[in-house]
Amino acid sequence: MTEQPINPQAIEPTERKEKPSQTNSMWRVVRRFLLQGGPLIALLLLCIYLALATPFFLTEGNITNVLRRGAVLAILAIGQTFVILSAGIDLSVGSVAALSASVSAVLMTQRIEITETLFIGPVDFWVGLPIGIGVGALAGLINGLIITRGRIPDFITTLGALVTLQGLALLITDGLPVPSYSSAPGALSSLPEQLTWLGSGAILGIPVPAVVALVIVIIAWYVLRYTALGRAIYAVGGNREAARVSGIRVERTKVAVYVISGMLAGIAGIVLAGRLNSANALMGQGQELDSIAAVVIGGTNLFGGEGGVFGSLIGALITTILGNGLNLLNVSSFWQQVTQGLVIILVVIFDQWRRRRFST
Amino acid sequence: MSSEPTLLEMQQIEKRFPGVHALKAVDFDLHAGEVHVLLGENGAGKSTLMKVLCGTESRDSGQIIIRGEPTDDLTPKQAQELGIGMVFQELSLVPALSVAENILIGRLPRRSFGMIDWSQANDIARENLARLGVTHIDPHTPVRQLNVAEQQLTEIARVLSRDCQILLLDEPTSALSETEVDRLFETIQRLREQAVGIIYISHRLDEVARIGQRVTVMRDGAVVGTMPVEAADRDTVVQLMVGHKPGEQRADAQRRTGPSLLRIENLTVQDHLYQLTLELHQGEILGIFGLMGAGQTELADALFGLLPHESGAIFIDNQPVQIDHPGDAVAAGIGYLTRDRRGSLIPVQPIAPNVTLPLIGGLPLLRSLNLRDERSAANKYIQDLQVRPPDLNRSVRYLSGGNQQKVLLARWMHSGARILIFDEPTRGIDVGAKAEVFALMRRLANDGIGIIMISSEIPEVLSMSDRILVMRDGRFKAEYASEKPTQAELLHSASYATEQVS
Repeated sequence: MTEQPINPQAIEPTERKEKPSQTNSMWRVVRRFLLQGGPLIALLLLCIYLALATPFFLTEGNITNVLRRGAVLAILAIGQTFVILSAGIDLSVGSVAALSASVSAVLMTQRIEITETLFIGPVDFWVGLPIGIGVGALAGLINGLIITRGRIPDFITTLGALVTLQGLALLITDGLPVPSYSSAPGALSSLPEQLTWLGSGAILGIPVPAVVALVIVIIAWYVLRYTALGRAIYAVGGNREAARVSGIRVERTKVAVYVISGMLAGIAGIVLAGRLNSANALMGQGQELDSIAAVVIGGTNLFGGEGGVFGSLIGALITTILGNGLNLLNVSSFWQQVTQGLVIILVVIFDQWRRRRFST
Repeated sequence: MSSEPTLLEMQQIEKRFPGVHALKAVDFDLHAGEVHVLLGENGAGKSTLMKVLCGTESRDSGQIIIRGEPTDDLTPKQAQELGIGMVFQELSLVPALSVAENILIGRLPRRSFGMIDWSQANDIARENLARLGVTHIDPHTPVRQLNVAEQQLTEIARVLSRDCQILLLDEPTSALSETEVDRLFETIQRLREQAVGIIYISHRLDEVARIGQRVTVMRDGAVVGTMPVEAADRDTVVQLMVGHKPGEQRADAQRRTGPSLLRIENLTVQDHLYQLTLELHQGEILGIFGLMGAGQTELADALFGLLPHESGAIFIDNQPVQIDHPGDAVAAGIGYLTRDRRGSLIPVQPIAPNVTLPLIGGLPLLRSLNLRDERSAANKYIQDLQVRPPDLNRSVRYLSGGNQQKVLLARWMHSGARILIFDEPTRGIDVGAKAEVFALMRRLANDGIGIIMISSEIPEVLSMSDRILVMRDGRFKAEYASEKPTQAELLHSASYATEQVS
């Protein structure tokens, strides 16, 4: 047949020019590290600096403290990673964490009377824990359904959930810490010791929250890399329309990521309650932004499709260690905030730069 | 007409893109008060020529003379200042803003302290609309509340409000109803009286005589004829558009095809498709030809579950199937190569995940994937289809158009689909890749796969199809099975609304 000229509109940009072929393997390793290891480099530099700058940083007590705090943020950030990879955003994780913790703590410490003779609680730790996590998953499910069925933008849905769920947590706790000093009759005055162990205990010298976070990060990594769900999440985030025309159930995938995020927020909240030895309705405030920051610092593309949970783990550690280090260096908390905000921006600028410079 | 002053002369315009000679020594001129119709098949170079005139593409060589003044390199801004205005097929209005704001976008009249003078703005908008004979559009109305025809008029008013004397209309009637077309033609008549010169691009041959004074036909990047409209009867024009192409024949003799694979009965999609019935056999390439917007893509979308259908039944191997989602279609063994290649790829991911994507949707969420198998499958297709560069770690966004198309072909070969729908499979890929795509389609058909090939490129439809269905206005208008039509016949049955309603 005769050749038709090609519609110039449809001509794609030509392929990028090849890098020089004599690229040696050494340089390739370095480039790979710079491309993928950016957050890790930042974390190492930060630790080295703090180790030199203050004698307190590398003490056992401080490391334990950092790991406990960092673990809670890491768990939240892992859930947030699932959502952001699918090109969504979950602003409700802090509220979900507080609600889950509040529900668990109330169930574990208080007697809830339905009639004079019929009452629930205080329930066992092993009953309260799955209920608390279930509340988180349910909140995520509702978020997911509103976003997909109601076609409400992710940002707005989860912003609404942030406020609503915090309100629910306030209702459940009466605005008081749980357990509170003015406990009703039949109520326990402290949280179950399993819960305190979950937040403050140690296994072979490693803080339990860190162990929990590590287990979750490994499972999450496996799910994202090796399962159909993980692949669908990257596809939906990378190009939603392409995923749809390839037969991916986009809605189902989106619901799944919000359920995962809600569930992990529930776990994070309960671990946090164990660490603080108390739950309250406002304990998650600001965590949604910290978790998003951790994800972004960890190199996940805020618009979806690229990134992973190990980056988010490192991002959570960077955020936590930065706060800890500034405390150790006696920087005023006002300056701490300024610094942390600037660091987020600088890390992302660096990230953009290295992507452009070192991408294949 | 020639007594009127010449507004525009384009002489020996040349333009090359990588691999394509898009404009070959094109001469074109336009008089004041004239409608000059520009005809040609897809890819004949009409759009490129118009882009050169609007300054959005630079020309490699040639002269553009406007009102007797030669121009140097034309930028979009200069083109506008010289009174050249273009109304694109895809309108460029801001839906949330009012008609007046859209017409005067970027140059709303100001009062002191930089306050916008709304009453003056609305007056200017009203004046410009009145110039088109439009009085029923209120300048305060947000554009999103207007229908397509009103939006188009708003867009024309916007272009004209910038002292436009050379107006380019690119397929202005493609989205309009009969009465709206009449009104548009009245508007064009009015503009002619105001000495505006109009270049009118169209696919619809029946409009030519109604609206034009002169006709220029382009083919393969060159002007093949300019004539007064009286000389431009449809046979002449069709002849010029398709050209005499020697050596044009079927790739092979009538091939035997197998039993029924897919049957569609009375498929209706609101406003797009009306009672379509078709049958596809194993090993058959069924060509569906139609001009732009005849409903071909909607047919594919409906069959693949992307567009809900109102009524109709789909049978595969004589079993009824329910297709409400692309996932159902994939499970039923259908693959769909959409016309929008970029819209089908995950740009940041490498080849392997892009190839296996349709298989993912059918799996339970937590089913493990075998990445090693996936990579070796991808490698197999890279070898088989000669994807270049053969790099498993490179994001597909860095592949050329033809290679991206191969990745998509690999995707549907790998999905195990037995029915493949190709919507404009060679759009925007170079000549070599085109031949490879055709060879592969043949091979797939020989393996018993049924292929529906949607195309608006006549030679491609003629040479590739075992059978051809012609679509117009959401209906099948003609079928050519054993007897192959000529190019002219095909174009006829796709173009004329007045004859042979079967």
